[in-house]
Amino acid sequence: MPVNENFVPKIQVFEPHRASLPPLGPYLKEFWTRRVFATELARFSDKAEYLDSRLGKVWLVLNPLLLGLIYYLVVEIIRPGGGLPGLTRLDHLLIGLFTFYFAQNCVTAGAQSITLGGRLILNQAFPRALLPLSCAIQAFQQFLWTIPVYIFVLIGGKLAYPTTEVPGWTWNFLWIPFIVICTGLTGFGLALIFATLNVYFRDTNKLLTYITRIWMYLSPVLWLPSSLRGHMKILLWVNPLGPVLNATSRVWVSGVSLNKSTIVGCIFWALASILMGGYYFISRERDFAIRI
Amino acid sequence: MPEDLAIRIEDLSISYKVSLEAKRTLKNAVMRASLKQKERTRTIEAVKHLTLDVPHGSVLGIVGSNGAGKSTLMRCVAGILSPTEGRVTVNGKISTLLALGVGFNPALSGRDNIILGGLASGLNMDEISNKTDEIAEFAALPDGFIDLPVRTYSSGMYGRLSFAVAVSMTPDILLLDEALSAGDAAFKEKSFERMRQLCAEARTIVIVSHALATVTDLCDSAIWMHKGQMLSKGKPEAIVDEYLKFLNVGSLPSSYEDM
Repeated sequence: MPVNENFVPKIQVFEPHRASLPPLGPYLKEFWTRRVFATELARFSDKAEYLDSRLGKVWLVLNPLLLGLIYYLVVEIIRPGGGLPGLTRLDHLLIGLFTFYFAQNCVTAGAQSITLGGRLILNQAFPRALLPLSCAIQAFQQFLWTIPVYIFVLIGGKLAYPTTEVPGWTWNFLWIPFIVICTGLTGFGLALIFATLNVYFRDTNKLLTYITRIWMYLSPVLWLPSSLRGHMKILLWVNPLGPVLNATSRVWVSGVSLNKSTIVGCIFWALASILMGGYYFISRERDFAIRI
Repeated sequence: MPEDLAIRIEDLSISYKVSLEAKRTLKNAVMRASLKQKERTRTIEAVKHLTLDVPHGSVLGIVGSNGAGKSTLMRCVAGILSPTEGRVTVNGKISTLLALGVGFNPALSGRDNIILGGLASGLNMDEISNKTDEIAEFAALPDGFIDLPVRTYSSGMYGRLSFAVAVSMTPDILLLDEALSAGDAAFKEKSFERMRQLCAEARTIVIVSHALATVTDLCDSAIWMHKGQMLSKGKPEAIVDEYLKFLNVGSLPSSYEDM
């Protein structure tokens, strides 16, 4: 029978492929073509998350604000003063916490994205990395809500304590998009690794709860990067979020530019996470439909 | 691949390892590694050396018992699973309904889920917007249900909506796995009608069904799979007869109902 008049030939060839990368060109093209699916999935997941809540999206602001307050109280009780004026400490803690949670949300939600997307994975052929990507997009959207909170605290604090130094407008703020992109890429890359691990070992998610907690204590969120002495400074470099959190504190809190080593550190971890995560995930993703 | 073919399957084999452990956990993996033990696995040969051509505009039925490899074969044709050996070539846009409730978030409305399902299938927003009302109408949802959360739907409504999303994508190749078990007799008839329309437009359909009446009514060819192998291929009536003889249940009318 002749093919229908609207038929557009689209030849797809499926051949053996296991534990090695599929042809990357077509994969990335398909990934790019379907990016709207990832953005819409993020939007709808966000909508579904707050649908049954009376305060709805207000929680997007309340959550980080309350979290910041809790940690500020904890830090103040453990180490009052800490060598910095209270408002500066609060600013560092808040923006560090928001940035850390942006990466953490990418990882924790992304880690479950494949196991929770079971039916979708069993039914449709699409680049599976779109699912962790949608989690990263959702985490980014939630991070955006925290920025006004930070600015509000900054301005409110300055009005209440006029003697405290806060950075005015500086061109160094143009580093912020770079920091956010590096944080997102690092979070997404790590999410790819944990999403794959979670398919093979279902208790990965439980372990992740403890990993992220330890990760935060080892990151310059509750403490200042400048407080590290001697060999402890290595914590800023072996931690995938070390350089971006150091950069966050420099630019957001102090308004100073980034030094070369911090820029290299940010780029290194963003690329390393994406390349390692991408390889591990894409080389295994055809196996997911069997393992789920 | 010849132009008149929608699907060409060449010497296809699909096998995979399954763990014999009750639960695969990191804890067990670490324990095993510390005791220098290997994970106990079993290799499942789901499809064995299958060769098949499906021309454009045909309806192929696949029958076989549970574990015959029908769903695995469908997933490989859809590009969801990769072959272990051989090759599958597909010419045309594929739409699949291999698991009900695809892309469906129960907290979201039917309308939102249609958008998600459509995007997952590769449609763009404009195409989906044009089809939303058509899909809701085809799924025969009661008034206003399209804007209610999917968790408030009955299982029939859920299945009908899934089917409506799959068939409304105007695919060149439609892969259905037991999808017609969703819905009542009236919806089944409507589904048949829609599939006949797709065939008239020279689109290709592959159906996996235990409801043998569906295979004889809709398909113009069929294959019988058993333990991963294609035992026979031919006219649907002949294949169904053969399959029934194998099952040793004769041609009792009940055998033609959902089994």
